[in-house]
Amino acid sequence: MKEVNFDQLQEKIYTETLDNGLKVVILPKRGFSKTFVTFTTKYGSIDRTFKPHGKDELITVPDGIAHFLEHKMFEKEDGDVFQKFSLNGASANAYTTFGRTAYLFSATNKLKENTKILLDFVQQPYFTKQTVDKEKGIIAQEITMYDDQPDWRLYFGTIENLYENHPVKIDIAGTVVSIQDITAEHLYTCYETFYHPSNMLLFIVGAVKPEEMMAFVKKDQAKKSFDKPEVIERQFPSESNEVDVPARTLTMDVSKPKLNIGMKCTKVDLQGQEMLETELSANLVLDSLFGRTSAFYEKANAEGLVDESFSYEFSLEEGYGFAMVGSDTDEPERLEKLIRHTIKDAKLNWPVQEEDLDRMRRKKIGQFMRSLNSIEFIANQYTRYEFNDMNLFDVVPTLEKLSMDKLKEAFATFSDDNSYTIFKVMPPKQ
Amino acid sequence: MFNKTKLQNGVHLYIRKTEQFKTVNVTIKWKAPLDQKKASERTVLANVMEDSTKQYPTLSSMRKALDELYGTVLFTDVSKRSSQHMVSLYTECVNDEFFAGEDIFKQLWQLIRSVVFDPNVTDKAFDPDVTEREKRNVRDRIRSIYDDKTRFAQKRMLEIMRPNHPASISAYGTETAVSEITSESLYATYEDMMNNDLIDIYVVGDIDENDIIEQIKQFLPFAARDAAKQNELLDVKVSGSVNTVREKQDMKQGKLHLGFHTPVSFHHPDYHKMQITNGVFGGFAHSKLFMNVREKESMAYYANSAFASHYGIVYVTAGIDADLEEKAVKLILEQLTALQNGESTEVELSQTVALLENSILSANDSARSQIEIFDQYKELDENFTAERLIEKWESVTLEDIKEMANTIQLEIVYLLSGKEDVSE
Repeated sequence: MKEVNFDQLQEKIYTETLDNGLKVVILPKRGFSKTFVTFTTKYGSIDRTFKPHGKDELITVPDGIAHFLEHKMFEKEDGDVFQKFSLNGASANAYTTFGRTAYLFSATNKLKENTKILLDFVQQPYFTKQTVDKEKGIIAQEITMYDDQPDWRLYFGTIENLYENHPVKIDIAGTVVSIQDITAEHLYTCYETFYHPSNMLLFIVGAVKPEEMMAFVKKDQAKKSFDKPEVIERQFPSESNEVDVPARTLTMDVSKPKLNIGMKCTKVDLQGQEMLETELSANLVLDSLFGRTSAFYEKANAEGLVDESFSYEFSLEEGYGFAMVGSDTDEPERLEKLIRHTIKDAKLNWPVQEEDLDRMRRKKIGQFMRSLNSIEFIANQYTRYEFNDMNLFDVVPTLEKLSMDKLKEAFATFSDDNSYTIFKVMPPKQ
Repeated sequence: MFNKTKLQNGVHLYIRKTEQFKTVNVTIKWKAPLDQKKASERTVLANVMEDSTKQYPTLSSMRKALDELYGTVLFTDVSKRSSQHMVSLYTECVNDEFFAGEDIFKQLWQLIRSVVFDPNVTDKAFDPDVTEREKRNVRDRIRSIYDDKTRFAQKRMLEIMRPNHPASISAYGTETAVSEITSESLYATYEDMMNNDLIDIYVVGDIDENDIIEQIKQFLPFAARDAAKQNELLDVKVSGSVNTVREKQDMKQGKLHLGFHTPVSFHHPDYHKMQITNGVFGGFAHSKLFMNVREKESMAYYANSAFASHYGIVYVTAGIDADLEEKAVKLILEQLTALQNGESTEVELSQTVALLENSILSANDSARSQIEIFDQYKELDENFTAERLIEKWESVTLEDIKEMANTIQLEIVYLLSGKEDVSE
């Protein structure tokens, strides 16, 4: 077991990679009542074309299958896993993103018993035709629920515009039609390919004794047998730097128009420290261009072009990335113009001064320290960072040394003239 | 838990020293009787106070000052509880120990002082531009509920179920009341809030208690106010008949909301029994609603119940195919009938107790929830601890659940669903 101290943050993590390839990370938190445990596989909605475990040919599976599999993991021959967690006072859940599927629980006692339930249910698949068919109704209602959420449609519509081929443009849950094709055999194929311990990470944070817990997990894993790890081969279609659709409008029953501008990131082959520096830099650039202290925001707010829904974000993963800026607005055309102008102007007259960089750096460092109060944040983010070969606890030292040049470089990855798209959700015309 | 200090009549300070967090939280709550017009004024006021002060007259200068203090958080929010309206100022800064030579906390007090005692006011009126801007923001916030069909359906159900009652009055007020606000009326509201509201101040973090008391006396010199008991909710007379309401919008999923009355509310001696009963009914993934409406029938992604204890209302929400309304209502009511007939099990009971315990103990891991939970429960017990509540939950029996379920009475079935002519 390896111990790493982060003195500045007053945190200490314990890690070990077990014989079967599973990486285990433990972070004890002083004074906490609960423990939060996530068991995550590096497998999400974008992993639709791959070589199944033990096979040589690529296959493509129905859309929404990673999410469907997530749902089905909770049902076993002897009943529902939630029931077992409930009896032990653990609150359990799971989620699927573009690139990960995470199973989790939080509990204030019976940590080992609950961890055992988590390890067992994720490592013992059970799918039948009957249980798979039954789930289709539930997931169809989940998809329909999101269909009625204008903000979700706005977000996803923007990504659909940005990408021509990459599966990030496919809704994580798939469609009501695509999930009908999913069978128990599909689920087993995906499970066997992606749920090998060597493709997974167990993170335990909170009221935990590291040595004892590590020994417990090790013993549990040693008792179970797994195939030899294989390198997972995924295939992604090629994707140009240009957006697929420059503008699209959806009509929905909303109280006010919604506008979102998406900017496609043109450098998506980064991992590790380089990725960390780029995403932190891009975030600082967006903060200075669109944050509450920016000239843009002052103007847009004073003129009523934005409201409390205004937001911006930068998202970067291996293979895709984008920046987004959007708001509910009565004047989508004027807001679009102002956002475009802000980006264009920044290319000609770089707006970030050294003092701005210092201030934003301080802000981000404080924000990061604050988020370390949340054990959910630590577990979820640590896993995401690890899957991208980065370390969450490098954020502060990396922020401290970011240079202005790095910010300019990051800005250049999403400010290309051909990389914009507009998505609008408009109320029906009266 | 929290140590209480009476600063003035009607002004109390609650301090909790803990090494658990990397930050220090300071929260101030102003409490006044809830009415629609006042709620609107106080919501706009909260926005205006968050945005600017005399010292920092623009949003940008205000936010820059916070960013300099290592991203110190400062924001306001409004909420309601029973017949009370609350304006809360939340602040949080990183503990000085992480940054040698800084005095972030001291500067935070100055900022709070500036926000609370030195707002951007000239001649007894707030800045008219800022006032208009925040009126617009609050109006848009009220209006945007329309875009979230679950929230909208819940709002409609409550309006129909309890018209002109605190249960259905929004803490944000109404669009009409917001439009009537002037920069002068806003200042009058500010004065009223500063002079007459009950004030609770909370501090959580690794701090020195005596220092805090001294600093608050220095930076936040609130005057005494009349701490007389505020108005209480009157009992609701429920008619025996069930109101069925269907409304339409352009949407795909049907939003089914059922409202039930119970005489057992927050101050009732059986309150903790009703918490358990609601948990067995539909509060969790092991509950009857989840198991039967979602898992057995595959009719819904979510089917939950909640206990709005301050209003004596239990409600059920489910997202369903609108064609299945009748079947869903029948299935939901069957679950309640099962509880009323005593058809709940020891397993369901112990699962519910275990998860409620987990949730209250987990709340301890966030400074914000420590404050919110204590602020609520101290009305029942100034020496409130999670352990005491847990003891009460553990004493609940299956017979209690049956008894509680029999006080629950259906008042309204509300369905919001798509128009028939929607073409996709």
